Formats: sequence, structure tokens, C-alpha cells
Amino acid sequence: MSSAPYDQVQTLYRTLLVFATVAVLILAVGLVEFVYFEPPGQTTGAKARIVGVYVYDPATGTTLGTDRSAFGRSEEFAAVVDWSGLPPNLNVDARWYDGFGTIVGRVGPGSRPSELGTSSVVPVITPPGLHHNLPGQYTFVVERLQGGLPVEVLARRIVLVER
Amino acid sequence: MGTSTYTTPPAANPHPRLRPGRYGIAIAVAAVVVITLIISSLLNYVYLDTIPARTSLYGLLAVALIALGTYIGVRAFTRERASRRKHLIRAAVLLGLGTLLWLLVIDVFVFTQAAGPLIAALCALACLPTTAFGLFVVRRMDRNEKEPWRLVLVAAAWGAIVATSLVIWGETIWDQVAQHTLVPGPGLDASTAFSAGLLEELAKGLAVVLLFLVMRNDFDDVVDGIVYGAAVGLGFNFLESIAYMTNMYAIFSPEGYGWAAAGLQWYGRQVLGLFFGHATYTAFIGAGLGIARQLPKKRHKAFAIVSGFLIAIAGHFSWDAWVQFFPIDNTLFGLVEMHLRTLIMTGPFTAAVIALLIFGIRHEAMGLTDQFLKEAATGSGAILLDEVPILSSPWRRLKQRLRAFQSGGLRAYLEVARLQSAQLDLAMERWHRERQEIDTPLEAEDALRRRVIELRHWVPAP
Repeated sequence: MSSAPYDQVQTLYRTLLVFATVAVLILAVGLVEFVYFEPPGQTTGAKARIVGVYVYDPATGTTLGTDRSAFGRSEEFAAVVDWSGLPPNLNVDARWYDGFGTIVGRVGPGSRPSELGTSSVVPVITPPGLHHNLPGQYTFVVERLQGGLPVEVLARRIVLVER
Repeated sequence: MGTSTYTTPPAANPHPRLRPGRYGIAIAVAAVVVITLIISSLLNYVYLDTIPARTSLYGLLAVALIALGTYIGVRAFTRERASRRKHLIRAAVLLGLGTLLWLLVIDVFVFTQAAGPLIAALCALACLPTTAFGLFVVRRMDRNEKEPWRLVLVAAAWGAIVATSLVIWGETIWDQVAQHTLVPGPGLDASTAFSAGLLEELAKGLAVVLLFLVMRNDFDDVVDGIVYGAAVGLGFNFLESIAYMTNMYAIFSPEGYGWAAAGLQWYGRQVLGLFFGHATYTAFIGAGLGIARQLPKKRHKAFAIVSGFLIAIAGHFSWDAWVQFFPIDNTLFGLVEMHLRTLIMTGPFTAAVIALLIFGIRHEAMGLTDQFLKEAATGSGAILLDEVPILSSPWRRLKQRLRAFQSGGLRAYLEVARLQSAQLDLAMERWHRERQEIDTPLEAEDALRRRVIELRHWVPAP
């Protein structure tokens, strides 16, 4: 009895299917990761108020001038957050992220917004080893935390640090 | 032996009079690509109105010139020699104009803004030899029937110019929406990684799909697919490297680290990541298409193609999403960590594609050896029984060419190389015909046989 010779392409095909199964698992893990850090149904309806982003004087710890959306790289700047409109039972913080996604300024967390005062000035801290802020888009977010993880953005501002 | 009635040998595989249905699919894919580019550019210009966004609008003309030049250039090789030169010159002029225009637009509007044209030119110069080396290695991987340089370069050019233009709008929208709606951190990183994996691999994969549909005679199996896929990836990596190098230079030069930052990007992308990155990911798309090429059932073909894309997307995603979990110390040990990170994260994907490649080469070699023997048995004279062991081994083929070089110089070397190449083409044609995976007429095989016999007049038997 003779049988048709086994086609080696089938082996390649099956190997590819095995790799594809692993690929699907990787993408599924990615999706789980996304859902873990972006849990659905986390909208409280609460909104924080970002008063503005201003030039910052580190010597006095105060802000100067008018609300701006672009700064030079040698300018120091800070966001001002008004916590008064938030419900008292929220665990919140506020952070600055630079263009690389690194946290470059933070206040909180506070188990109640009142712990952080009526308002906070949150400056961008120039990373150690650098003379000025790196250029790019900077994102300022006021976040609600749950289990130590940020789960909801209550307010957001994006400013540009020019080259 | 058939008598040749023409002075110029015909193209290796004359096309059938009726174009197969895959040409229709190719035209549809190309039309979608062009329409996407136009819409993307217009939307970029109207809504974003940033200087880099304008490049995609002004760059449209360059993309059109390159697409037209590429088409004319590739088709020129299927024409008779008399008219081929004319078409090649047209293609070269169009490609040259398109490339210059495109470089001008990019340099002036993007890189000049970031780091200046001189820095952009230096970065491009630094990436050229490494990318050329990558393309050389990738092409050499096909031990039996090397892909034509024109197609390898077309694949790389698509990766560098067309694929990057295709993803601008998609990634811009995705990133803008994500940045304004998601919580910054790992969730946003995962979203960005999905965007890069999905959009960039689809844009790069389209080039391999088009080659698979249009240049079927030069797309034989999994090995060819891996070569074309990796070439597209290397092209994409070339442009991405320049963009990152100039950007990092511009960001860090006021701090005095401009060259160090650009150099680190160059090393990471053009040395360490030359094969461990875009080349590996897109090679999987090519592998899927190459395997599909040889599968008999349509359902299996579809699964193979989808699998190739899925692996590429997952590989790309895993790097972008999880690279943050392998931070690099700001010490000398960081250099070791940098290599380990690439090896651990992309190494398994590269190893997997190499496994497919090795298996594919073995499978191809077995098929060709079988056909050498069968052709020798016909007594046509195109392949002699004594030649089979030589033709079956890349090393013996090289030795035969070197012997010819010693006895007759470069001319003899090239004549033997042409004969070997024609004999491999014939065996490949026979292999595909036996497997019923070819749509060229039987006359194509006869034409290849006649060409081998014609070339043999100039080369003594071993």
C-alpha cells in the first residue's frame, strides 16, 4: 500500500499556527493589561478644576502672569488646581507627565481632596542632570485613585514646551 | 533542442494573456492605499495644520512619482530588451525626482525644524551603510534563488516612504484621542503600543501583499516572503531611525548631549535593532504570505496570511508596551541591560522567524533537487545528471563559479552564474507546476529550458 508523501509546507503552516496562537495570547495579555489600568465603569462624574498653567517662581513658590499653553524650555511653570469642587470622599492626586511619559511633578495623593488644601500649585521639576525642561507636550492630570492606582482623570491640561 | 528564432531571450516567465484575478485585488489594494494617503494628507493639513502635517500633503506628489516610477521600473524587466532601456530610464527619472522631492520636503519641513538639514543629512548618512548591510544579509539568506535587487529595494523603499506616510494620520488620531481620554501610565502605553503594532504592521504588510499579488513569479515560498518582509522592515527602520535620531538630537543638544542621544538611538535601532525589530516583525507577514503561496486550500491560505499579520502585530506590540518594564540603569551596566533587553524581548521572535527560514530553505532545497533529477531524466539537456549535486548545493555552485573565474576571469564567472540561475529558475518553475501552484502557461517552462540550453553554449559542462 502506498501513501501520498507528506507535504513539508503543512509543517510550516502548523508551526505558523502555533506562533499565531502565542501571538493571540500576547495580544490578549495586552488587552487585559489595558483593562486593568483603564477599568471600565469608573466614571464618578466628578470634575476637578485646573485654574491654569502659569510661569512659576521657585524662590517664592508662587505663580506669575496669565494662563498659558506654551512655554520656553528655560521657563519654569506650574499648574494650579482648585480642589474645592470635588466630593470629600475621593482619593486624588495631580501629576505632570513630560513628552516621554515620565512623571516630572506631583502633589498628593490625599485620601480626601481637603487634605491637599483648597488649591495646590504643582510645578514641573526639571529632571536631575538637566539644566532645563525637555521640549515636547506636557500633560497635567488630576486623577482619582483606587487601590493606589489612578483609575479616572478628573481634569487634564496639555501644554507645549517649545524647542 | 529547440532553435531560437529571437535575438533576445524572453523574460524568464512570460505572463499568460489573461491576467489572473489577483491583479484585480492588487489594483484594489493599491487604490485603497492611494485614497488613504490623499485623505490622510488632506485631513492632516486641514485639521492639524502643523508643519510636519503639511509634509504629508506636499509629499503626496513625491509618493505618486515613486509609485509610478516603481511600477514602470518593475514592469520594464518583463519587456523585450529593445524597449526595456527606455522604460528603465523613465523609471529612474521618476524615482529620482520623487526621492529628491520627498527628501527635500521631509528635510525642510520636519528634520530642519527639529535639528537642521545638516544633522538630518548626517543621520541619514549614518543609517545608510547599516541598512544596506541589513538588506545585503537579508537577500543572501535566500540560498537557492536570490530575489532581484530591484524588488528588494522596492520593498525597502515602500517601508521607508509609503508605509511611514500611511501611518501618520492613523497614529496621530489614535494618539490624540488616547492622550485626551485615557489615564496616563501603563494603560496609555498599551494603547499606544496597540496603535503602533496594528497600524505600522498593516502599512508595512501591504507592500508584501502587493508583491505577493503582482510579482508572483518572484515570490516562490516562505523564504522569499521572509526576505521581502524583512526588506520592508529595514526600510521602515531606516526612516524611523533618522526621525528618532534628529528628534533626540534636537531635544538634548541644548543640554550638551545631542550627539550622544542621537548616537544611542543609532546604535539601538541600526545595530542592535537592525534585525531585532521591524525586520523581524514584517518578516512574519512575508512568512505567512509565502506559506499561503504553497497551500492548496483557500481557508488555509487565509489562516496563514492572518497568522503572519497577527504574529507581526503581537511582536511589535509586546516591545512597545512592555519595554518600560525593563528599565535601563544610567550606569555602565546599562549597556549590558540594553542588549539583554533586546535579546529577551525580541530574541524569541527573531529565533522563530529564523526557524521558519531554515525549515523553508530545507524544504525549497529538497523540492529543487527533486526537480533537477526529474529534468535531468528527461534528457532535454537543460540539466545534466552530473550537474545535480552541484546545483543542489550553494557551496558547490560557488566553487564552480570560482573555478570558472580562475580559468576565464570575471566574464566566465558571470556566464556560469547566469547558467546556474537559469537552471534554478527552471527547477523552481517545474516545482511550482508539479505542486499546481502556478498560473503561467507551459510555454513559460519551455522558454526557460531554451534559455538554459542557449546559455550552455557558452559554458562548458562540469
